[in-house]
Amino acid sequence: MLAELDPLLHSQLRLGIMSILMSVESAEFTFLKEKTNSTAGNLSVQLDKLSEAGYINIEKSFKGKKPLTTCKITKKGIKAFEEYVNALKQYIKP
Amino acid sequence: METKHDNLNPQQSLELIATMINQVKGNMLNGSFYFLLWGWVITFCNMGMYYFFKYTEYQNYAPMVWTLCIPAWIITLIYSSRQEKKAGIVTHLDRISMWLWIGLAITILPSWIFGEQTNWMVNAIVLMPVGMATFLSGIIIRFRPLILGGITFWIAGTLCYLVGPIEQYLVGAIAMVFGYLVPGYMLKKSNQ
Repeated sequence: MLAELDPLLHSQLRLGIMSILMSVESAEFTFLKEKTNSTAGNLSVQLDKLSEAGYINIEKSFKGKKPLTTCKITKKGIKAFEEYVNALKQYIKP
Repeated sequence: METKHDNLNPQQSLELIATMINQVKGNMLNGSFYFLLWGWVITFCNMGMYYFFKYTEYQNYAPMVWTLCIPAWIITLIYSSRQEKKAGIVTHLDRISMWLWIGLAITILPSWIFGEQTNWMVNAIVLMPVGMATFLSGIIIRFRPLILGGITFWIAGTLCYLVGPIEQYLVGAIAMVFGYLVPGYMLKKSNQ
C-alpha cells in the first residue's frame, strides 16, 4: 500500500521552501523569496503554516533598521521531509 | 511559485526538490578576503621578526609584531558577520569552514602565547596545522590552488625544522606568499 504524502509538504511553495532549508543551515526571507520566485505575502503565509506545524523555526530580528526574518529547519521538519521523499519513491517505483 | 498541490505529481515533486537544492549550490561565501588579509598580516609579521632578529639589537621587542594579529582578528569577525548577513543564507559548508578556521586559531594560539619557551620557533609548530586547514579549505570549495597552498605549508613547516631559528621566519613569509596570497588573489579573480 502506498504511503500518504504529507499534505503540508505536497505543495509547490512549501516543498520549495523545505528543500532549500534542508540544504542550508539558515536562510533569510528575502533569499527564500528570490529563489522560490514567490510573493512576500504568499511566502509569509506558507512559512507560518510550516512554523505552526513545527517544521521550521522562524527568528525575527533587525538588520540595522530593517526587519530580518531568518528560517531554519527543525528536527521534526527534517524527519517529515525524509518521510515525504521516501513516500515519493514508492510512487515512482516501476 | 504557486501553492496549489492538487496537480503536483510525484515526478514533479522530485524535480522541484532537485531544482531548489541546485539553487543553493555555489552560494558559499567568498573566502578570498581572509586569505589576502591574513596572508599580508602574517607575511609582514614574519618579515618583521626576521628583520629584528637579523639586523637589530631590539630582539626582545620583536614578538610585539604579532600584536598585528589582534586588529586582523577584529576585522575578520566584523567582515564575516557582514558577509553572512549579505548572503542571506549560511550553508553547511560555510559552517564547517568557519569552525575549521576557529579550530586552527585555537590550535596555534598557545604557540604564540608561549613562544618564548620554544625560542620563537613559531613557524615550525604553526605551519603544519595551517597547511591542513588550507588544504581542507581547498577541498571544500574545490579550488586546486588552495590545495597546493596547503601542501606548500606542509613543505615549509617541515623545512622550518631544518633551517635556523631566524631563517624560519623567512621560510614562513615565503610560505605565506605561496600558500595564502597567490591562491587568495586567484580565488578573488575567479569570483569576479
